[in-house]
Amino acid sequence: MLAALLLSGVALFGVELGKGALSEPPPKLADPCLPRAGRTGGIDATIQRIVLDGLDGAACRLHTTREELVLSLGSGGHRRWDEHTIEVALRSGLLRSLDEAERRGDIPGFAGPLLRRLVERAPLDRLIRGGFSLRDLLG
Amino acid sequence: MRSSRGYLTAPLAAAVAIAFADSSIVVLALPELYGRFQTSIEGVSWVVTAYNLAVAVTALALVLLVHRLDAARVLAVGLAVFLVASVACALAGSLGFLIGARAVQGVGAALLLAGSLPVLGALTGSDATGARVWTLAGTFGLAVGPALGGVLTQAFDWRAIFVAQAPVAALGLLVVVRSPAHPVAAEGWRSPLRRTLPANACLGLLFGALVGALFLAVLLVISVWSYSPIGGAAIVSALPAAALAARPLERRLGRLAAVCGGAALLAAGLIGLALLPSASVALAVWALALCGAGIGLSVPVLSNAALDPSAGLTRSGTLTVGARHVGLVLALALIAPLLASKVPAAGDRALLRGTAVLLDAPVGLDKKVPVALDLRDAFDRAQAGETPDLAQPFDAHGADHDSALAATRDRLLGTIEATITRATRSAFFVCAAFAALALLVAGLFRRGVVP
Repeated sequence: MLAALLLSGVALFGVELGKGALSEPPPKLADPCLPRAGRTGGIDATIQRIVLDGLDGAACRLHTTREELVLSLGSGGHRRWDEHTIEVALRSGLLRSLDEAERRGDIPGFAGPLLRRLVERAPLDRLIRGGFSLRDLLG
Repeated sequence: MRSSRGYLTAPLAAAVAIAFADSSIVVLALPELYGRFQTSIEGVSWVVTAYNLAVAVTALALVLLVHRLDAARVLAVGLAVFLVASVACALAGSLGFLIGARAVQGVGAALLLAGSLPVLGALTGSDATGARVWTLAGTFGLAVGPALGGVLTQAFDWRAIFVAQAPVAALGLLVVVRSPAHPVAAEGWRSPLRRTLPANACLGLLFGALVGALFLAVLLVISVWSYSPIGGAAIVSALPAAALAARPLERRLGRLAAVCGGAALLAAGLIGLALLPSASVALAVWALALCGAGIGLSVPVLSNAALDPSAGLTRSGTLTVGARHVGLVLALALIAPLLASKVPAAGDRALLRGTAVLLDAPVGLDKKVPVALDLRDAFDRAQAGETPDLAQPFDAHGADHDSALAATRDRLLGTIEATITRATRSAFFVCAAFAALALLVAGLFRRGVVP
C-alpha cells in the first residue's frame, strides 16, 4: 500500500510534466521587430491588423514589447515614456504599418493618403482604442 | 464521576486544538489583513510568524522550568493570557498592535499546551490516554485551522477568527478552575529527555514542510485561483481526510517504515504542488492527499516517540510543542521573502501575458485596449490589497453576450493563474526540502526516532 502511494506520487509528477510543468506557460511575448502573421479579410480585420502592426512598430522603436506599450497608455503610474515619445513612436509605427498594408494590397490605393492623414492628425487615444473605422473615414 | 470528567475533557481538548489551529488559522484572512492595514506580504506574514515564534520560544524556555510548576496553574495562566490576547487581536486597530497581541497569544498558547498534558492525563485517568487526546486534538486543530479561519472570514470578518477563540479559552479556564484534577508536574529533571531529540527534530522538519501544504496551498487556491474561502477550505480538506484515511495503514506498517514513508509522501506531495502547471484543482487535491497521507503515517509515530513518559510527560510535551513551532517559524522565515520577491514580478509577467492573449484574440479593437487598461488597474488594486476581480473588465465590456470575449476572458484568466501559480514553485520546493531532511534524520537516527 505504501509502495502504491509512493508510485502515485511518481504518477503525479508524470502527469504534471506531461502538462508542461517545466516549460513557461504560453503565450511567449513576440519580438515586435519581427513580422508576424495577422488576420486579414474584411475592413475591420484589416484596420485591426494595421493598428496592431503599428503598435509593434512603435514598441520596436521604443525597445519594448507591444504588450508593455499598451499597458503604458492612458493615465496611471505605468508610463515608462513621456507622452511625446509615445506619440511619435505610435504615429510612426502606424504610418509604417499603413505602407505595408498598401504593399500587401489590403487597402485600396485611394484610401492610403486618407488614412495617412488620419494617422497624422487624429487623437492617438481614438486611433488605438479603435474608435474609428474605415467606413467612418470613407463615409 | 467518569462521565463528568469526560465532559470536562472536551473543552480542554478544544482549547488544545485551537492553540494548534492558531498556527495557521489566519492564513485565509491574510489578503483581507493585507488590504486593511495597507502593508507588504512580509509585513502581513508576521501575523502568522509572531504567534509561532512566541510559542516556540516560550515552550523551549518552559522545558527548563515546567517540571517544577503546578500544571493546572500553568494551564490556567495560559488560558487566561490566550483569552485576553484573543480579545486584543479582535480589537486591533493597527498591524503593529495585532502582531504584538498575536505574540502574547502565542505565549499563552505555549503555557496552555504545556499545562494541558498532565491535566488531560488526570482527567482521562491515564497519561497515555491524555497524551492521545492531546495529540489528536493538536493534529486536528492544525489541519482544520485554515479552513476554520476561512469560513469565519467569509461569513463575518477577520476579527471573527479571534472573537470565536475567546469563548473556547473561557470554557477551558472554567474547566480548570472547577476540575478536581490538579496534577503537579513536579517530575524533576530527567536526562532521558535527550532521547526524544531525533523524534522532535523530525517533527520540527515535518511541521516546517506543512507550511507548504497548509499555508501556501491555501493562499494559492484562494488568492490566485480565486476560490472563496469556503471553496478553498473544501479543496484543502483533502489533506486531513487523507491523514485520517492513512491511520489504519500506519498501524500495519513498522514504525520506521511509517515515519520514512510518511516523510517521503509529504515531500512527494509538496513537489507535486510545486510542479502544478496551472490552476488545476484535481492535481492540487492529488498532491494534498499525498501530503495528508504522509502526515497521517509519520506524525502519530513521532508524537509517541516525542511524548516519552520516562522523560517526564510535561517536559517532553513542552519540548515537542517548541520543536514543532521552531519548524513552522523556520519555514515561514524562509518562504515569506521568497514569495515577496517572486509573486509581484510574476504578477507583472502575468499581466503582460494576459495582454498578449487579449491583443491576439478575435475580438474587436474597441474592446482590446480598454479591457487591457482596466485589467492593469485591477492588478494595481490587487497590489493595494484588494482581491482582484479579473473577470470584471470583460464583463463590463459585454462578455455576457459576446462569446469571443468570454472565451478570451477564460483563456486570459488561465494564463494569469498559471504564471502566478508557478511563482510559488520555489517556496513549495523549500518545504519539500524540509520533508526530505526529516526523511534523512529518520534514516540516520532510526533508533532515536523510533526507540
